[in-house]
Formats: sequence, C-alpha cells, structure tokens
Amino acid sequence: MVPLEQLHLSHVLQAVSALESIVLRSFGPEGGQVLFTRDTGQVMVSRSGKRILTALHLDHPLARMVVRCVWKHSTITGDGSKTFVLLLASLLRIIHATATKDPHMFQPHNSTEASEAATARHLADRLLEFALTELDELIVLNVLPHGFRVSLENFTAETHDLSCQTLLVSFFRTRLGYAYCDFFRNLFCELLSHWKVKDDRPSFSIQFLNNSFLALHTQVSGVPVSCSRLIEGQVIHRDFATPCPQVRKQPLKAVVFNGYLQPKLLTTGDVLELRCGDKVTEDRGIVHFSSWTEKSVESIIATLQSFGVSVLLCALKQSSAVLAAATQAGMCLVECVSEEEISLFTQLSGVTPISDCRRIHPEHIATLTFCKPLLLGAHRYVHLDFHDCEERLKVKPCSLVICAPSEGQADQHACAFQDAFRMLLTALEPVRKTQTALEETIPSKKCTSLHADNISNGTACRVHLHQKCVTETGCVISAGGTFEFLLHHALHQYGHSCSVSVNTSAVVPVSQLLAKALLSVPRQIYSRNLKHFLQAQTRVVALIPKQPHALSANFIHTEGPLGDGKLSLCSCKNGNMSLKLLDLGLESVSCKYQLVLAVLQCLTNLLRINMVLQTHAVLHTESHDSLNAHSESSEGEDED
Amino acid sequence: MALNGDEEDFEWEPPTEAEMKVIQARRERQDKISKLMGDYLLKGYKMLGDCCEACGTILLQDRQQKNYCVSCQELDSDIDKDNPALNPQAALSQVRERQLAAQVPAAAPELNGGPTSSQAGVSVPQPRPEHCEGAAAGGRALLPPPVVASPPPTASTTTLAPIRPPVCPQNSTLRPVLEEAEEAVLTKLRWATAQLQSSASLEASIQLCSLISSCANSLRNLKELSQ
Repeated sequence: MVPLEQLHLSHVLQAVSALESIVLRSFGPEGGQVLFTRDTGQVMVSRSGKRILTALHLDHPLARMVVRCVWKHSTITGDGSKTFVLLLASLLRIIHATATKDPHMFQPHNSTEASEAATARHLADRLLEFALTELDELIVLNVLPHGFRVSLENFTAETHDLSCQTLLVSFFRTRLGYAYCDFFRNLFCELLSHWKVKDDRPSFSIQFLNNSFLALHTQVSGVPVSCSRLIEGQVIHRDFATPCPQVRKQPLKAVVFNGYLQPKLLTTGDVLELRCGDKVTEDRGIVHFSSWTEKSVESIIATLQSFGVSVLLCALKQSSAVLAAATQAGMCLVECVSEEEISLFTQLSGVTPISDCRRIHPEHIATLTFCKPLLLGAHRYVHLDFHDCEERLKVKPCSLVICAPSEGQADQHACAFQDAFRMLLTALEPVRKTQTALEETIPSKKCTSLHADNISNGTACRVHLHQKCVTETGCVISAGGTFEFLLHHALHQYGHSCSVSVNTSAVVPVSQLLAKALLSVPRQIYSRNLKHFLQAQTRVVALIPKQPHALSANFIHTEGPLGDGKLSLCSCKNGNMSLKLLDLGLESVSCKYQLVLAVLQCLTNLLRINMVLQTHAVLHTESHDSLNAHSESSEGEDED
Repeated sequence: MALNGDEEDFEWEPPTEAEMKVIQARRERQDKISKLMGDYLLKGYKMLGDCCEACGTILLQDRQQKNYCVSCQELDSDIDKDNPALNPQAALSQVRERQLAAQVPAAAPELNGGPTSSQAGVSVPQPRPEHCEGAAAGGRALLPPPVVASPPPTASTTTLAPIRPPVCPQNSTLRPVLEEAEEAVLTKLRWATAQLQSSASLEASIQLCSLISSCANSLRNLKELSQ
C-alpha cells in the first residue's frame, strides 16, 4: 500500500463519474428506483439521491467527501441531491477538458499533471468567485421574470393559491411517485394551516415544524397509505407505565420530570456510611435507609396529589417503588419520554420541567384536555391535548400520523414530508443577498419590477426595485429544465459581452464553462428522447425576448394582482402555454441557486486536494495475524 | 514541453483521424468503466481508496474482501487497439510515425543554416506534403522517404518532385509505406506461426490463430492498396 498518493485530476473525475452513473439511473421523471435489501430480509425501494448515496459502501476519501456534501446540502434544501452530483460531474469533465487542452495557461510547472491540476484549481476558484458575485444578479434579471411568486401569506387549507399547491405536488411527485402526491399535498397543506400562527410570517411556523418534526409525527406500518391523517394534540411515543383509570374528570393536570422521583443516591462503587449521630440505635442499616427514601417518594406523590396532578411525564426510567406509589395514588405515569417530545410539550403547554422533586410550584403544572391511550398500528401511545392552547399560542396543535404498508415506506414518506418543509423554507429565501449593492447599480440595469405601476420612470424603478428586494421571495419557475436553459442563455450572453469588452483571449470566460455544464441537467432529464430536449429548449428560448424593453412590456400587459393569491404568469403571452408549463410542475429558483453555489463550493474543495495520506489503524486487537485482513484505512487526510 | 510553450501554440493542429479515434475510444472506455463501477457499487461492493497498479482505475472490494479492478478484469485493454500486430490501421499509423521520427534527424544535418520555418515544414507528416509549400523550396531536395527506406526507383521520383506539380505525390510515397507495413506483418506472421507450433495451451493457440488470420487480412488489404 502506498502511503502517499498524488492525486490527479483523472482520479477525481473517475470517483465522481462512478457516483454519477449510479445517480443517473434514478434521475428525471422516467428514472427508476433502487431496491435496498438488508441481511435481515428488509427491503426498501427508494429514488431519493441522498438515501442511495449514503447507503453505498465507500472507502475512497473523495467519494465520501462528495457524499457528505450532498447530505449536507440535502439537509438544508431538502432536494436536489441527484442534480448536485450530475452538475458536479459535468463541471469536472469540462474543467478537465479545458485543463488538458491548455495546461500551461497560467504558469509553467514541472510535470503536465501538476500544471493541469493547477489550471483546474484556478478555474474552480474563478468559477466560485463568479458565482458569489455575479450569478445572483444574472438570475434575478434573466430567470425570475419568467417565473412567478409563491405566497404563503394567506395560507389556508382552502386556499386557491395554485402555484404553491403545484410546487408541493411536483415535489411530492418526484419523491413518492404519481400515486400519492395529491393526497400528501392535501395532508401537508392541512398540517401547515393548523400550525400557522395568525398574523405572523409563514416561515416561522414552517421552521418550527421542521425543527420539531420528529416529535410531531408517528409512523405506522402495516396500514394502507390512505389512512394517514392528522390528529389533534400531541402523541407521546411511549405507553403508560401504570394502569390508566378509565374515568377521568377534565381538565387534567400534568407535570414533567427531568430526573428521578426516587433519588438515586447510591451507585455501584459508592460506599455509604450510615450514622445516626454518635449514638448506636436500632434503626441503623440499609433497610432503614431505603425506607427513608421511599417515604420521600410518598411525600412527593402527596404533594402532587394536593395540587391535583394526575399525569406524570418522566424523561428517565423510574424505579418500581415510584411506579407502585403512583399506581396507588391513581396517577398515570409515562417514563422515558424523548427529549424532543418533552421540549414540544413544554413549548405548547408553557410549563417548565421539574428537576428538583422537592420543589414543585404552580408554574410546573400543565393543564390538559385529555390524556388517554391511543392504539396506532401495533403500538399503544399516549395521546393528549392542551387546554386553551389556541388562545395562548394561537395555534391548533395537531400531530401527523403517516401510514404505509411497510416500515421503510413509512420512513420514506416521513422524510419526504420533512424535506418538503426544508424546500419551502429555502424557497422563501430571497435570491439576491445584498440590497446596498443593488441600489448603487440600479441606474445601469434594466428595470424588472413585478409591479405594473412603476415601470414608467427610472427613479420609481429604483425605489421599487429596492422594495422588490425585500419581497423577492418565493419565486418559482416551471420544472423540466427551464431554469437551466434560461441561465445557460444568460451566461452565454454575459460571456460574449465580457469577451468583447475585455480583450483577454487567453483567459477562458468561466461563465461559458458554467453555461455548458448547466445544459447537462436538462439533457439527462430528456435523455430518453433527444427530440423532447430540443423542443424544450426551443420553447424556453422563445420566451426570452430579443430586446430588454420587451420584457417590461410583458409585465404591464399580463401582470395580474398578486396580493390576493391568484395565479399570475408574468411572461407568458399565450394562455395555452401557461397551462402547459404548469403541467410540468414547479421548482423553486432559490433552491436551484443554492444548489449551484453548493456544487461550486464542493468542486473547489475537491480540486484543492493535492495528496491523500493513508493512515492504517488496527481496529481489532485480538487478532493480529494479518494486517491487511483486519486493518481499515481511516479517511485520508487532506493536505494542500 | 513547458519550455517551448509559445512554439507549441503555433504548431498546434487539429488531431488527426487516428488520434481522434484514440481519444474517442478512451472516452468511451472511461464511460464504460464508470458505468461498471456504478453497477458494482449498487451490488454492495466497496469503493476503496487505492488504485490499480496496472491501469490506475479505482479498486473495488467485494464482500469476501477480494479486490477487483474493473478495467483489468473486465474490459479489454485499449492497448490492443494500438497494437500494430493486431490492427492494420495501427500498423499504418505506426509506420507513418516511424517515418516522421526518421525525417527530423535526417533533415537536421542537411538543412544547416536553413531557415527555421523550413525545419518546421519538413516535420509536417508525410501524407500531406501539400502543406509544406514554403519548406518544399528548401527541403525538397532531400525528401525523407527515399532517404530512409530508399529503394532506388523512389529516389528518381523524388528528384522529379520539384518539377512535377504536387498534385499526385501519393503513389510514390505510398509504396514504401506499404512495403514496410507488409514486412512488419510478415514478420509477425512468422513469429505467430513459430509460437503456434510450440504452444501447448488451448487459449494461446486460439489467440495465435486469430493473430494469424488478422495478419492475413492485413496483408490482403495492403495488397489491395498497392494495386
């Protein structure tokens, strides 16, 4: 084994191409699914790029790095892992081709490979710099006008905001297939409408749902998918540890314990010295000590009874003495409640958990409407609801029950739900980051305001563009490669204008490289039929006007009121064409922009690696017979 | 190569057909390797951090801890394509390359004091002598193929070359190329026959027979070309 390995561009390309060939099989609307089997016999089918890539056995440090980048990206945006790998591979290929064609572009090196690597690194750095500075402007000017805004302001279950519904449907379709996308879209919208805090930003509730999703959903296997529903209140994924009496007067009072009710004063290895002063009494010994601790439990239960508490939620496992005392007092006890569920409970009920059992105050006591066992699938859970939550917090708390025939599928549906939250959050982020830079450059740029009444003069334009920046969120565009075609065209134009103005023929304009790489995505979407690719390209390019003034003219004619949530297609003149675009589904522009940035950052990191140092660590100390059989190379360290 | 970078820029030419074929074959091979690696990864093989010593492809490891190189053990190596013994095309291109290599040292001592452009012109590949207009004036008196392979009839044709318009120099230049190719193929044929007589294994005999048949094909093609 060579301890030191010089990394060549071809190695990087080979590793990423292998990942790309895996991901390509499930890419696009006609992509297939991957069947996962475990040695235990469990089977799962999935199309999710993140799941496929994380399931592979990879020891190659570069491949692991790429998968890690994909995972991180997917955790933030919820989508686009396959597109990530595709774009990365095509960018690497183009950079490789450019570097090998003209390796000593920048400085002479001793070997061809070193100069190729240096050229590639330089190109990647320039690409990233370009993306961080110029790309958002290009997107705002050239891509956003062809899309429309998704607004979640007036979000209700009965909302007619078609664009948001379509966005969700296309997302669920890519994840879960055609069968259940509508059903899940409705379920999602219902959940969102229940949890939406009135008069507050929708992203706040979506963020809350994303953070507490683990506690908010229950997976049930062995039941048909259509049984998925919302139930009011919260579900605690544990069963009662003490028998729960049937008849209860309402409302109930509950407390949450963070620690042990019976103080665990003794642990293994401790030595307890028992003394009662200096006198020798008959009451010495461990029996006396344990009866003393039991008396303390009884006193705690008595205190709780005096407050009228009948439900105890504990984070830790309680001793049998506590369980017996609770049963005797007629209290329901739930133990080993997870941290997320306790956190959600405390947020919704407004109480704090008790850490010191001897001090129980009224602010620790929560009021519940009901607390009863709930049978879901093969498990029994605790179902409770909060008293006056709607007045206090202005939300109607509800929990999601996700049903599926198998465990793997239920997990898949739950992941799709959570990723939908993340996707919406990213979609609501603005594309353009800085507003101050915009104000300086406005007079030179053409006006692309979405509001009809401000197109006339430049000053109004400037003011309104500033305002537009603030509200420029939630932009979506039709799926099927539209974003890539538009951006490709824009980058091409930009590259031409750059090379005209700056006469550096030796320098390759990086915008052209990016433009070429972007086309690989729609090419793969339509890989089964090249004719469709050409048709899609023609259709999208036809939308791009020849002169910039025509674009603003479009706005005046076709712009409809956006405030009341009605759908308005800003740049489509033909009504038929607009419907056709909706058929393809929608995707968020902000997600795509984040994707491009993430890919370029991953690319830069990949190409900065010069050498891989392999260190071997012997993991199993009992058998040293053969180092090769039992040693595993740990992840190679990167050294610049 | 890094030292005379400027000169290389001026001398860069579009790759010839043979080179294009090699580039295309290499690209296809890389695509095939990626696809095969993807297949194996999905089957549960592990991608290691090491590369194969022979071909530099990333190694895979199966469940039984056995290492596996996709290109060495599955794909045919692409050097077979470039092996002149097995491929008549490669034979032709090898012959041309050899002549090219012989041209430069032959031209160098005789063109002392000549302009550097003529030197550049002489190194132009043989089948396209129409490109070396400028060089022809300086270098035509010593046109390479007769210098290298020099069968006497071709020497006379080269002395006539400045007089004859450079319309059909192909016939004169092609014959020595073909003869050399024939010689190479015949040598390989003889060698393969000798190996076949002494070979003991079935696989080797089959491969040698296929070698002989491809040599015969090459000879037939060469004979057709010369007619």
